[in-house]
Amino acid sequence: MQTRVDVFEDIFMIFLVLGTIVGVIVVAYTLYNAYKYRDTGEPADEDAPTLGELPTGGQGGKKLFLSFALSAVVVISLVAYAYVLLLYVETGPEGENPGEDAIEIDVEGWAFDWDFHYEDGVETTGTMYVPAGETVWINVTSDDVWHSFGISDQRVKADAIPGEYDQTWFVAEEPGEYEDAIECFELCGSGHSGMTADLVVLEPEEYEEWLEEERAALEEDEEDDEESEEDTENDEEAEEEEDDEGGED
Amino acid sequence: MSDLPPRRSVRRWLVTTNHKDVGILYLATAIAFLLIGGILALVFRLHLLEPGGTGLLSGNEYNQYVTSHGLLMVFWFLSPFAFGFANYFVPLQIGAKDLAFPRLNAMSYWFYLLSGVLAVAAFFLGGSFAGGWTLYAPLNVPTYTPAMEATTGSNATVFGLLMFVISVTMGTVNFMTTIHRHRAEGMGLWNMPLFTWSILLTVWMMLFAFAALLAALLLLGADRIFLTQYFATDQGSGLLWAHLFWFFGHPEVYIVFFPALGIMFEAFQTFCGRRLVGRKWVIIAMVLVAVQSFLVWMHHMFLTTINLEIKTLTMATTIGISLPFDLMVFALIYTMVKGRVRFTTPFLYSLGALVLFILGGITGVFLGAIVLDYEFRGTYWVVAHFHYVMVSGVTALIGGLYYWWPKMTGRMYSEFLGKLSFAVYFIGFNLVYFPMFLAWETPRRVFHYSGDMTLWHQLSTVGAFVLGLSVLMIIATLVHSLRYGAIAPDNPWEYSRTAEWAVPSPPPLENWDGRASYASGSLEFVPDTPATDGGAVADGGTATAEAAHAGHEERHPDHASIWPFAIGVGTFVFFLGLSGLTPTVIELIEPYYPADGPVITTAGEISYLYPAITVVGLAIMGVSLFKMGVEDFYVPEPRVAERWPFGGDLDDTKMGVWVFLASDVVVFGAAIGAYVFLRLHEGWASFDPIPFAAWPGLLNTYILLTSSFTVIMALVMAERGNKRGLLGFLGATMALGLAFMGVKAFEYGVKFSQGEFWFTGLEYSLYFVTTGLHALHVIIGLLIAAFMIYRIVSIDAYLEDERPVEFFGLYWHFVDIVWVFLFPIFYLM
Ligand code: HEM
Ligand SMILES: [Cu+2]
Ligand SMILES: [Cu+2]
Repeated sequence: MQTRVDVFEDIFMIFLVLGTIVGVIVVAYTLYNAYKYRDTGEPADEDAPTLGELPTGGQGGKKLFLSFALSAVVVISLVAYAYVLLLYVETGPEGENPGEDAIEIDVEGWAFDWDFHYEDGVETTGTMYVPAGETVWINVTSDDVWHSFGISDQRVKADAIPGEYDQTWFVAEEPGEYEDAIECFELCGSGHSGMTADLVVLEPEEYEEWLEEERAALEEDEEDDEESEEDTENDEEAEEEEDDEGGED
Repeated sequence: MSDLPPRRSVRRWLVTTNHKDVGILYLATAIAFLLIGGILALVFRLHLLEPGGTGLLSGNEYNQYVTSHGLLMVFWFLSPFAFGFANYFVPLQIGAKDLAFPRLNAMSYWFYLLSGVLAVAAFFLGGSFAGGWTLYAPLNVPTYTPAMEATTGSNATVFGLLMFVISVTMGTVNFMTTIHRHRAEGMGLWNMPLFTWSILLTVWMMLFAFAALLAALLLLGADRIFLTQYFATDQGSGLLWAHLFWFFGHPEVYIVFFPALGIMFEAFQTFCGRRLVGRKWVIIAMVLVAVQSFLVWMHHMFLTTINLEIKTLTMATTIGISLPFDLMVFALIYTMVKGRVRFTTPFLYSLGALVLFILGGITGVFLGAIVLDYEFRGTYWVVAHFHYVMVSGVTALIGGLYYWWPKMTGRMYSEFLGKLSFAVYFIGFNLVYFPMFLAWETPRRVFHYSGDMTLWHQLSTVGAFVLGLSVLMIIATLVHSLRYGAIAPDNPWEYSRTAEWAVPSPPPLENWDGRASYASGSLEFVPDTPATDGGAVADGGTATAEAAHAGHEERHPDHASIWPFAIGVGTFVFFLGLSGLTPTVIELIEPYYPADGPVITTAGEISYLYPAITVVGLAIMGVSLFKMGVEDFYVPEPRVAERWPFGGDLDDTKMGVWVFLASDVVVFGAAIGAYVFLRLHEGWASFDPIPFAAWPGLLNTYILLTSSFTVIMALVMAERGNKRGLLGFLGATMALGLAFMGVKAFEYGVKFSQGEFWFTGLEYSLYFVTTGLHALHVIIGLLIAAFMIYRIVSIDAYLEDERPVEFFGLYWHFVDIVWVFLFPIFYLM
């Protein structure tokens, strides 16, 4: 299985190497010509341009097309190759958009933090928990303005647009706690610069345990709540309002 | 009409309509905005010296600085700088004595300057817009710029931009007409110098791209002062803005780059002593780019939720559009081969621009590959890429400044100082932007980067100061030249070809005696008598002026009018007033505002100051427009000119009107497009027609169609010289227009009485804004008609020359046709 990091490394390397080669050759050739044909004070040949002539083209078109064709081939083949990898990224490593038992996390951005919704109503804010080595599908949206969710280390990114759900995936291989690994990539207001969140990658068993604990805690809450149903409703409303206000400053 | 004072007098610069003066004004003003934008950048680069920021700026200030830097550089520096050259040299290169509409040209300039003043003033009106130069929705609506002052300042930024777009539209109409209709005899389209070609294609792109931006800004302006909901909802608002903005935004990158490319072609040919290799193919490549530039905008949206098919298509068009640039780059390179390359300052800048463009282009191809864009989007890679390409353009434009400096000032500059400035510039540039590729994982518009990128950011900050220094050196070089420079000959550059080098440095007010002609295959100045061969008329390429002008033969063209300036001031005051209206509007609508509408966070407060300013602005506009309308200002159309394919029975004004209407089609197209987009997003069937009944719409359709007929009759009467008939039919047209407005007012009134307003919901916004935009067109038409009636009564106007009636008719028909589209959309569907 290729992770997003693997895909990026492959393709970036190839682009970088070819891009550098092409860049160096073209720039060097440019400078070489500029130097080689520098003015040496030799008298002009008869064909030199004159003031007030109606513009026409110069000689040398054949070479022009040869170079053009060559560079076009390079560019087009690069992009064709990139396209193959794009198809892989679009469908995911399992060859299907989130499969039956894929791990799905809904991500919601708001000014200026991130909420994560896991299965069974488990929720966190400011920290994202994922199992190591498994494909994590994310559904990204926003509660207020346009944000962009990205984890550079994992080479994953998706726009968080109000009312839209942007889906993509990544595989975190190394367990660990990555502080501020999640960043916002679209200007979203005064706190945009600091709109980061932590990524916690757990071993799959640990992740299940964590999820289980959260779920249990959630159930306890619910039991408490059932005793005073009316209160809950009020609470929820109050919470929503709070959220709204949070989004505005 | 007034005399043109000498250049030393300040009045000269307020009243001049001469293309060379206006060109200089553009150049000087653009440099001023470069300095302002540059200082903003230096400040935030200083803030970026440490991860997390040095504390120099608050988060909000940082965002304001980044935003205004982007806006100022792209809109108020880069394009206007290029259009300074275009103003000065396009007429010279094509053999015209001025632009087709000199007063309109002066007006473009004043709108440009004052729009920039408004955008900068935003800082002092409680804080400028802070949502990035791309103005993404919904961050761009008042809900997210809460403080009352910030709303005013942000509005000022938005209206500054709107006013700038109006300036661009006027310029577009002018250049399009000039280049298509004022070319010297013998200069077909293919024969135009490449700088002129680049400007022609630029204005073609501008015409459509800026109209889309105009529409977007009008809708945004409505959202910002009237609290409509185009960009405030979570029902497609974000994507709608992105589509509208990038439909403009991608062509915009070529709009800023093409003039620079044109200068590179000129400078390479001159300083290599060779004609451009593959010239024909270069032109074809540029035309292809100009057309295709409207098909690639979604590559700025790869990371949004657009689907794979569309992404694939966009990737293909993006890569496709990079290939013509390939060809142009190689054409430049091969032009050096077997040439006699002289490393003058302008050539160094052009060569530098080519090198930077190659690097920028290659890194652009990275972005065109979607998988890579997923990672690069929103990072410093993009920042580095577009600075390499855009500042490559700046580099070429500076080359142009040196190239044409002797022509514009009559002074040579010091080659030593010039080359020194280039060295510092080139090193500084790469020091600022190359490290950005290395620090590419930093999100853009962020000062909270990770510690291991500190070195790159610090290098970049140092580079910014080196680059800033080089700009000062360039200015110093030029000031030095003005003081101590040797007197420049007519043609200081060996192997230059274009016509500007055939006239004195600086050229006289009317460029040359007689007229320029290429009939013999090369440039000659011939007496200005009608062509005698007559053969040229047969192919439709050369047309002789109408007899209407014969009577004016002795009269000199005018070059001075204060009214463009006055109209600019009025418009500026008007937009300034509009900027502060939001709190007042909020206070007024508060009682009717729906509970579930977008949250209003700006404090409502009745203010009398801003409404008063708005009214004053309108008054100044009204008076000065009227004064300009009655001013006797003579601009001859060339008797002999190449006009293919816009010859025939067109004249300048008619072509101008057509061009303007074409852009207006795009404005309405975008507004209707926005409607369709948002309605599809909500579910087509979920909308019900807003009007209380279909019959007022139907009635208004009949009214407008009838008025189209009366306006035709008015023209017939004018042609016959029948004053009473003309008055009668124009009056009838006006009466019908007023009736239309009456029905409209009734219809709106019924809605208001039911407690339904433009801010009641999204579909209400769509209905009120789109039909309101149309109503605004009707009102403008009514004002024009009233003015014409006044002119007929007071000076028997249009009886000898009925063309203004025809132009008005074109506009009026257009407004009618728009209604024919709006009626079914809003009343029946
Ligand atoms: C070789 C041809 C080019 C290609 C393939 C290319 C490709 C791209 C792509 C795909 C993006 C979107 C990046 C993203 O935001 O994810 C982009 C951004 C940009 N490009 Fe280019 N580009 C090319 C040439 C140019 C030129 C000639 C200019 C201007 C002179 C330019 C100016 C820009 C700007 C201003 C942006 C960023 C806009 C923003 O997000 O603020 N590009 N380019
Ligand atoms: Cu953000
Ligand atoms: Cu683009």
